[in-house]
Amino acid sequence: MLNLKKRTVDSEIPSSSMADIAFLLIVFFMVTTVFSATRGLEFQVPRDDKAETIEPEEAVLIYIGADTKLTVDGDPMELDGVLAYLAPKLARNPNKPVILQTDPKAPYYAMVNVMDELQQGKERLKLVKDINVAIPTQREIEEQWGGLI
Amino acid sequence: MQKLKTKPIEANIPTASMADIAFLLIIFFMVTTVFTVDRTNVNLPLSEKREEVPKGAAVITITIDQMMKFSGGREESFVISSAEDLISLAAAEVAKNSLHPFVVKADGEVPYRAVDEVMDRLKQAGVQVMILLTNQETVDGA
Repeated sequence: MLNLKKRTVDSEIPSSSMADIAFLLIVFFMVTTVFSATRGLEFQVPRDDKAETIEPEEAVLIYIGADTKLTVDGDPMELDGVLAYLAPKLARNPNKPVILQTDPKAPYYAMVNVMDELQQGKERLKLVKDINVAIPTQREIEEQWGGLI
Repeated sequence: MQKLKTKPIEANIPTASMADIAFLLIIFFMVTTVFTVDRTNVNLPLSEKREEVPKGAAVITITIDQMMKFSGGREESFVISSAEDLISLAAAEVAKNSLHPFVVKADGEVPYRAVDEVMDRLKQAGVQVMILLTNQETVDGA
């Protein structure tokens, strides 16, 4: 009888290419990763059935001119002074609407600056609720009020 | 004189922890990767107060030369010829979810007229939540 000699086979998972695969994945994610800006100023648009028409004389009107200069209720004002101007009015009526009108030729950042200031109003003035800011579009201003400024 | 026998030292780089490090990096990039729907480079305005944009929000991009792009939030953004096209595009998203957030990603130097037109069309389409995308402004105004 022939005596066959058993050859032992080592059990092994080939892992030599694992490093290649792992680094390929790293490079892929490094290239595709974008740490994008994912934050901004949020505002809610009132629903048509809940929207109330604001009379300009009841509200505070902030107008941003083409030269980014501010006019609040017809008076020129610096951005720093806006919240101080609003404080007594909001203390009497926390729902006091603030209409933000921006000149179509003004740069967009000027509107964002004012919007940012108004959104900080709740914390800075220690109000119970956010300032009621309305941002009517040019079409709405003309349709509802025939132009404010 | 006694001859000293030198013991050879094997030179090797320890690679046992390489796999751990590699997979740690993979997991880090997998978790932090955001496949943005719009990669247009715009110089965003700055603001101190910033709210997190919900995932899947629609994006309207306005570049400095007033080119407009739109994405419903799932697909890559595409160029639209005018703000008028926005009404139907936004209305389709609002029909699926009335509270679908819309992000306005506009260059800070763009004339407000362009942003006003976009906001007007979004309002006409019934959009209720808008977010003006900004970069962080530091306290000293930088």
